[in-house]
Amino acid sequence: MAHAFRLDGHDHELWLSRSGSVYQVHVGDTCVPATLTARGAHVHELTVRDISERVVIACRGDDVHVHLDGETYLLRYSHSLERFAGQATDEAEAIARAPMPGAVISIAVESGASVRRGQALLIIESMKMETTITAPCDGTVQTLHLHVGQTFDSDAALVTLERLKEAP
Amino acid sequence: MRHEWPFGSVLIANRGEIALRIVRSVQRLGLRAVVVYHAIDAGAPAVARADQSIEIHGSTPVAAYLDGTQIIAAAARAGAGAIHPGYGFLSENAGFARACREAGLVFVGPAPEVIEKMGDKVTARAFVARGGFPVAPSAIEDDDPGSFIERARAVGFPLLIKPAAGGGGKGMRIVRDPALLASEIERARSEGQRYFGDGRLYAEVFVENPRHIEVQVLGDAHGNVVHLHERECSVQRRFQKIVEETPSPALTPDLRREICAAAAGIARNANYTNAGTVEFIYGDGKFYFLEMNTRLQVEHPVTEQVLGIDLVEQQLRVAAGEPLAFKQDDLQPHGHAIELRIYAEDAARGYLPTTGAILVLQEPQGVGVRVDSGIRAGQDVSAAFDPMLAKLIVHAPTRDAAIALGRQALHDYVLLGCKTNIGFLARLLGHPAFAAGEIHTGFLDAHPEVAAEPIVEPAILHKLLAVAALTSRPLRDAADAVPALHAAIGAWRN
Repeated sequence: MAHAFRLDGHDHELWLSRSGSVYQVHVGDTCVPATLTARGAHVHELTVRDISERVVIACRGDDVHVHLDGETYLLRYSHSLERFAGQATDEAEAIARAPMPGAVISIAVESGASVRRGQALLIIESMKMETTITAPCDGTVQTLHLHVGQTFDSDAALVTLERLKEAP
Repeated sequence: MRHEWPFGSVLIANRGEIALRIVRSVQRLGLRAVVVYHAIDAGAPAVARADQSIEIHGSTPVAAYLDGTQIIAAAARAGAGAIHPGYGFLSENAGFARACREAGLVFVGPAPEVIEKMGDKVTARAFVARGGFPVAPSAIEDDDPGSFIERARAVGFPLLIKPAAGGGGKGMRIVRDPALLASEIERARSEGQRYFGDGRLYAEVFVENPRHIEVQVLGDAHGNVVHLHERECSVQRRFQKIVEETPSPALTPDLRREICAAAAGIARNANYTNAGTVEFIYGDGKFYFLEMNTRLQVEHPVTEQVLGIDLVEQQLRVAAGEPLAFKQDDLQPHGHAIELRIYAEDAARGYLPTTGAILVLQEPQGVGVRVDSGIRAGQDVSAAFDPMLAKLIVHAPTRDAAIALGRQALHDYVLLGCKTNIGFLARLLGHPAFAAGEIHTGFLDAHPEVAAEPIVEPAILHKLLAVAALTSRPLRDAADAVPALHAAIGAWRN
């Protein structure tokens, strides 16, 4: 069965087989003979087509962090369900998300307030700059997920809006 | 000769790499090092290395490190006789320096009166201009707040608006479109108010593609002032330095003498004591005063490397009342040093800060390689603070050799779990324009290819996929099961 790893936004399908002590990594029409030998904490010797080099690897959940020849890469195991499922979206809701990690400086709206598309919802601070987060659509403020002073990571939900129903 | 210190313990009112770096110097001098920390930093190396650590609290982690009253109380509790503020946080806060003095503590830095005079951009500029040193055309809000917008407009565009009390690029805005002047002024004022508790502004002409050259100065309480030569800090993003070096590749020997003498003259005029930095904008063979930082700079290690001097030790000795141990002519730099700031950020995505747990950390080592780091494996990188994780400093006989050493050290720098700018720094050092010394503050805008993520070649992709597949338990188990199945089939056929 083919598996896939995501690198820089692209899924790469592969499957693995074994003959003797050497594994074969099948990528498209290419078959790559490879072995990986532990040489210390996180340090391995990767041999691909008889050429060996030092590689540092850290796995966490589905993430495989790799340091190879001076560059760092992140590969993430793609679960087939996620790969093939369409983007599930809730039509009734719209969420203003954080474009980057930061902290909330001030909140301009209250829960239950009706807002117009583009209206300021809150001001965040990141990279020593203030950024105004605006409403992605017309609607009603359903949930304010954060309070002033709170920090958040990239893509965190900041404000959930209930979309304004189209006039019938 | 045994020196008697007027203080036996020094409290370090900072965090991250600079807290650890100061702890090391304090302990090397036979003094006790006390650090304060917010709970989020409980696992930081400085806390583990200090002789004593005291937790401080705040509505945000940053607020804890800005709470001077709490920090002075911690110093009293620990029996510390001096406070080293590091950089940022309370380091240029005259009120804090004064509160230390009133509490009977030695503040490791200049006198509060000098911080007030030189730390405020507006009064510092006026003071420097009166001394006959060059300053840039500008408009100062305080002169007549009612006419500030008109006077700023008269300076011309592009225009740079800065908080009068600011530093470190906070609250600075470039205005190219006159129509946006009023709104940008309001935004800068709000940021100045929030960061520095002071919304006063000033505006000055924005020189396109200038170089940023600064000069380290050091003064003692006995009237001696020396300069410790220049640093060029032109490679910046969002007004924040990324790479600093000394000597500057731009200066001729004559210009170097002139700019260093100007810095020492400004410091002498101000009766400056302790370590400070005079920053200049340099372009078209001319330089003018930008601002003075009345504290230790992030990039001080390049100066230390070429002079063989520990600046934190010098700061402590000056604070203890000792006269400077060297004269101007004793300070002869050797070789070339470059500092590379390791940031948790994604250069390819507009230098957005990144977060994550540090899973593996292997810092480079070797002759001429120094890493000032505030992180350890297992630590979480949060968005609560500035994204700087560590500084890599390389020192070699020539600029070319320092660049080569820097590239090798970056190649060997392993930090997994949180995206950093290490690859970006390697591309920057490898860029022909950087190698040629053709740098200016707009360098990264002029060379966007440095920030772009390189394409992964098929040969490398195959290696990466091999690593991913071979470290994935389910894939390996499935591959291992196949020969076993063949064996079972073989047995059944018998």
